[in-house]
Amino acid sequence: MPEQAVLPAATQERIASLGAVDIVVGIPSYNNADTIAHVVRAAQSGLHVHFAGYRGLIVNSDGGSIDGTPEKVLDLPGEPEELLQLPYRVDPVERLSTPYHGVPGRASAIRTIFEIARATQAKACVLFDSDLQGVVPDWVKALVAPVIEDRADFVAAWHTRRKFDGTITSGILYPLTRALYGKRIRQPFGGELAVSPAYVERALTQSVWNSDLSRDGFDVWLTDFALVGGFRLAQARLGPREQQAREPGSDLAATLVQVLAPVFLEIERHVATWQKIRGSEAVPAFGSAPALSAETAEVDTAKMIEAFRFGQQNLQDVWGLVLTPATMVEMKKIARAAEMRMPDDVWARTVYDFALGYRLRVIARDHLLRAMTPLYLGWVASFVQETRQLGPEATEARIEKLCLAFEQLKPYLISRWRWPDRFNP
Amino acid sequence: MMEHVNLALTEATRRVVFGIADFLPGLAALILAVIVSCLLAWIFSWIVRRSLRGVDFDERLDQWGFSALADWSPDKSPTLLVSRAVAWGIILMGFLVGLTALQAELASAMVARLFGYLPNLVVGLVVLAIGSVLARYLARGVLIGAVNLNLHSARLLSMGVKWLVLVLTAAMALDHLRIGGDIVKLAFAILFGGIVLALALAVGLGSKDLVTRSLEKQTREEHGKEVEEQFHHL
Repeated sequence: MPEQAVLPAATQERIASLGAVDIVVGIPSYNNADTIAHVVRAAQSGLHVHFAGYRGLIVNSDGGSIDGTPEKVLDLPGEPEELLQLPYRVDPVERLSTPYHGVPGRASAIRTIFEIARATQAKACVLFDSDLQGVVPDWVKALVAPVIEDRADFVAAWHTRRKFDGTITSGILYPLTRALYGKRIRQPFGGELAVSPAYVERALTQSVWNSDLSRDGFDVWLTDFALVGGFRLAQARLGPREQQAREPGSDLAATLVQVLAPVFLEIERHVATWQKIRGSEAVPAFGSAPALSAETAEVDTAKMIEAFRFGQQNLQDVWGLVLTPATMVEMKKIARAAEMRMPDDVWARTVYDFALGYRLRVIARDHLLRAMTPLYLGWVASFVQETRQLGPEATEARIEKLCLAFEQLKPYLISRWRWPDRFNP
Repeated sequence: MMEHVNLALTEATRRVVFGIADFLPGLAALILAVIVSCLLAWIFSWIVRRSLRGVDFDERLDQWGFSALADWSPDKSPTLLVSRAVAWGIILMGFLVGLTALQAELASAMVARLFGYLPNLVVGLVVLAIGSVLARYLARGVLIGAVNLNLHSARLLSMGVKWLVLVLTAAMALDHLRIGGDIVKLAFAILFGGIVLALALAVGLGSKDLVTRSLEKQTREEHGKEVEEQFHHL
């Protein structure tokens, strides 16, 4: 059945009147009246300052904001041919639950932006989140230059984080993605990215746009598509990222479900690819901003240790369905030890076991991921205690060591994936 | 006089002998039907057992969330339970066939009553199966949620939810089977009420710290003294 045209006829006419464009900056938005103007201004400035000889187009794809976000964008000064605003359709069900990235129906917004990039024959397409507070014009250059000048197909943002911020990325997403797909993208599922026309063209032909992945975790798909699609990858060091608080901090379990479910789904989808990959290779990084700042986020490890121990006492039946007996014994030892230390190999096996448990549906998938929360908190507590006295470089080196443990234990995942009943150490 | 007595005795003996002669083929047929059905039951039970073991039925059932069935099975094996159910079903059918040969009217009435009751039995079993799965699902969800909230009564809450659902489904199943009548309803109401009260007390006592913390947090927010968490997981 032929798919319905994504762009309405009026928009297509408008695009036709615009002619060819060199750079498309896409900004999906949903109720971001407080920040959208700043983001659009930074994008405009970035295009004028760094790409004066190029023709840029800013596309704001809004999901039906009710706080005046579209009006804020239209009120901004600038050339009308440089700005295109159009709504995208949000499924009523998607509107009910706000995802961690804050934009329901984000996949539809990105699809619209990609369609415009294709229609205008753009040489590069950049995506910015609309709730960013610290976006600077230089980001446009940092993301677009690798595509236009260095022929990269996919440029992932690499933001400077405080030492203990982003532990889901440092402890799960980065090591797991790196070990599976063999590419060292430090922040694999960030909000900002730039892609080439080749990437846009192929992405638009995929059948993912109306799938489950398009509802939750579309950023994961965007990166994984680049990882398994044989595209030229790059990273752009952008510096610190200030964002409106959107993480459902009070419900860490919900965050884990939203983040890990698409990652584990993608592992299932790309099993034929990642089983053949061994080791990992560096991905070129452009820019000089450090990975970690000297600033340290405050972390209360006592609460985390308490949560881990409480989970170890009460969730043994659930963990026992996922973890191997050897890992269960390790968890017991860790919970009873005076000092909280989770060895890298135990944590890597735990993450791999949960990925496998997700695939096998040993229990309801939502329950499975929520049951991982105390284990994750245990790892965070261990990591924080171990690196509290270390500087940014030494902390990054510690994360590198963890990644190597994930890579070394990849045969364990492959064996369990192939023979889940027989290989159960 | 004696002639009459002789005649009466002969007649009575003839009637008894005819009665026995009339009854014996039916009895023989009943015995034969039971023997044949036992033989068939053994054969079919063996086939079913082999087939189910061939497809790892016990493990699959466990994966599908029906592990509670193993607790109710002989030697903790649902395969054995199913094969024995098949065997007893065949024996019962053989017995009914034999009974029909013995006394058609009685057997017909029994079969009619049995088949009339069968839908209730099936619905009752389905309700129990669904209730068992639902109880496990909800209990696990509550346990995980309560542990993540650091509620010290997590296990108690989970167990309470599980038994609430089990008691509810057991009462529904018994109602469908038309067993117990008002006594079941009364017992259910008492049990249900008891569990709810126990849960309310458990939550009240177990989560008083949580409520205190929540109220304190709310008060701090009201006074603008809330210190934002500085740490971001994502």
